[in-house]
Amino acid sequence: MIWLITSALMFAVGAYGALTRRTAILVFLSVELMLNASALALIAFSNLTGSLEPQVVVLFVIAIAAAEVAVGLGLIVAIFRRRETTSVDDLRQLRG
Amino acid sequence: MNFSGVEILALVLLVGTAVMVVRLGNAVHAALALIANFLVVAGVYVALEARFVAMTQIIVYAGAIVVLCLFVIMLLSAAKANIGAEIMPALPWVGLVGAIGLAAVLIFAVTRFQPAGNVPALNGGLPQALGPLLYDPNRWLYALLVVGFLLLVATVAAVVLVEPERIIKATGHAAHPEGDGEPKPAKEKEVVKQ
Repeated sequence: MIWLITSALMFAVGAYGALTRRTAILVFLSVELMLNASALALIAFSNLTGSLEPQVVVLFVIAIAAAEVAVGLGLIVAIFRRRETTSVDDLRQLRG
Repeated sequence: MNFSGVEILALVLLVGTAVMVVRLGNAVHAALALIANFLVVAGVYVALEARFVAMTQIIVYAGAIVVLCLFVIMLLSAAKANIGAEIMPALPWVGLVGAIGLAAVLIFAVTRFQPAGNVPALNGGLPQALGPLLYDPNRWLYALLVVGFLLLVATVAAVVLVEPERIIKATGHAAHPEGDGEPKPAKEKEVVKQ
């Protein structure tokens, strides 16, 4: 049970970071933290229910996080080359 | 609910390193705190009988993903975390209230969970136990193939995003035909006047 509470706290901390950080890379790290918290909750449920299926799901979460990092960091590098900044506040051309 | 000392220590370490990730002023230090967080999580996985997932966590998360982030931070010289102007001064407090509310709701939800009385053994979460599930056509095999294809597409996308000039040279297609994406407000004003 303590691991479920831990994962809830980690998820909230990651959400706080994703809301308040102004650098794109650090928003990214906060999202990784939230993904990791959800994976921890899945493993805790796996242990509490005696099922191996959540562990398989966590493997998929890790693989998809790797794909997300590849595309996300590619986007950050491409934006930095064109705009010379990684601040998310400067990237608001799409805001109406 | 009574917890052992090691569990309390792991909770403090996990939440402490998480707070360091979101609060430290140096991006490199934040990424190193994230590695510490992932290593503690891997230890917790071993304790929860998920050893294969723990090894994957260390190799892929702590070893590859965060190191990739560190490469990008140092490549872009973006170690300074608090860049740009503070356009919403109240945002940290609003974010703090939102995070506390989210934590309260999530803890309320997970403490309602009633674990079953006698749970079957997990065999330590070794590959011998996970493999038959992962490669069973009735369970996860096709999802595994789709994820493998997704990784391929993501890698190609990353290369195309970072090196558009080489793609243009090789194929003759302009990735961004209108030049840079800088807005041109002067032209738009002329159109409005006419």
